Amino acid sequence: MPAWRWLRFVDGSSLRRLLPWLLVLLALVAVRLSKGAMLTDAYAFLSRPFWPGTAQAEWLRSARRVEDGARLAQLERDNQRLRSLLDLQQKNPNRVTAPVISRDGSGWWRQLLLGQGALSGIRAGQAVLGPGGLVGLVGSVTPSTATVTLLTDPSSRVGVWVGRTQHHGLLTGIGTARPLLRFLEKDPQARPGDVVVTSPASTLVPPNLPVGVIQTMDANADPAPEAVVQLIAPVSALDWVQVQVR
Amino acid sequence: MDLLSRQPLLAATVLLVPLLVLASPGWLALDGVGPCWAVLWLLPWALCDGPFSGACAGLALGLLLDALHPGGVTQIPALLLLGWWWGRMGRRASPIQRSFSLGLLALIGTALLGLTLMLQWGILDWIGTREALQLAGPLAGRSAREHGVNPALLALPGWRWDDLAGSGLRVLLAQTLITAVLAPMLCSLQLLLWRQLGSGWRR
Repeated sequence: MPAWRWLRFVDGSSLRRLLPWLLVLLALVAVRLSKGAMLTDAYAFLSRPFWPGTAQAEWLRSARRVEDGARLAQLERDNQRLRSLLDLQQKNPNRVTAPVISRDGSGWWRQLLLGQGALSGIRAGQAVLGPGGLVGLVGSVTPSTATVTLLTDPSSRVGVWVGRTQHHGLLTGIGTARPLLRFLEKDPQARPGDVVVTSPASTLVPPNLPVGVIQTMDANADPAPEAVVQLIAPVSALDWVQVQVR
Repeated sequence: MDLLSRQPLLAATVLLVPLLVLASPGWLALDGVGPCWAVLWLLPWALCDGPFSGACAGLALGLLLDALHPGGVTQIPALLLLGWWWGRMGRRASPIQRSFSLGLLALIGTALLGLTLMLQWGILDWIGTREALQLAGPLAGRSAREHGVNPALLALPGWRWDDLAGSGLRVLLAQTLITAVLAPMLCSLQLLLWRQLGSGWRR
């Protein structure tokens, strides 16, 4: 019997009953072969009114800005680290780069010992900068070393101001890792997060060097408001510093 | 005084103390505060060599350490006193070599040294405040509310009383404890060495 003879048993009524199911099967095969194209397109069309609006987009842009800022800071730090590893001196004749050869940051005296001294042009009273800002002042020098009194040392007093409000104060070491900013005005209008820089009125240090960020404020302190300042330069991890010689 | 008179070169080991202070190994610290190396060297030396040698060593140590640190305070009186006291103790009492005794003596010595420093800073703060108040004139006292704060008072350098009571006490306790912990080990070894090298071995 020829193979096509079985078709004689499929009559018209049976074909009409099976046809919808065959079409459904074909549609499912088509969806499978197209990797769900029609299905996802349909979902996208139906869910469009509920897509994230402008607020979510702004959040995303803000997160991206933060990410870019963090990446930039990281790359800058990495660049500085590689430069110091290569022993590249900055082309700034006003600054002398010096290695930290001894550090005592937690005892009765809080000081660093630098491996450059008077022979390199360093003198007592000059400002010492670490990565991020001011770390202290040169206290004494020998021909080949210099002792730096850190900003955290209780004998350290540096005139600073809050850049945003332009109110002056004295940054005072109190024997802890974070110095105290004692304002000269009764209402300094400063708040946590404000950046503290060296004062243009100071005769000890160059003006507007970044120093730290206000961590907490005590507006009711007597005789003047006080703020605890977190230093920007990581004093406990300093390997190289720069001395502002002019 | 046998060590100092017969083998004066041994006294040159006192130079190790400022070098250790400068090296200040970070792993050998309690809450970031290192031990008092001066006490750890002076205690066995004075116990072995008597009060005069101990006082001389204390004076030398004080001069060396004062050179390392800026400021108007000095460690000389405390180290001089400790050297003399420990020297007398080594001569008059039975030989001190037990770990507990060495630890206790180092603890008392470090605490005394720290307290003398605190006392000096306290006195300097008191004198400075009085002078600043005298110099400030109309800005001081009641008119501070009207004219603002007296910068002369804020600019006084050095430890203030409230800082001494806070972080100063923390430094004192940390240094005292770490020195007392290290003393039995380090001072025993030095005692043994000095007694073998010198002729002042006491039975």
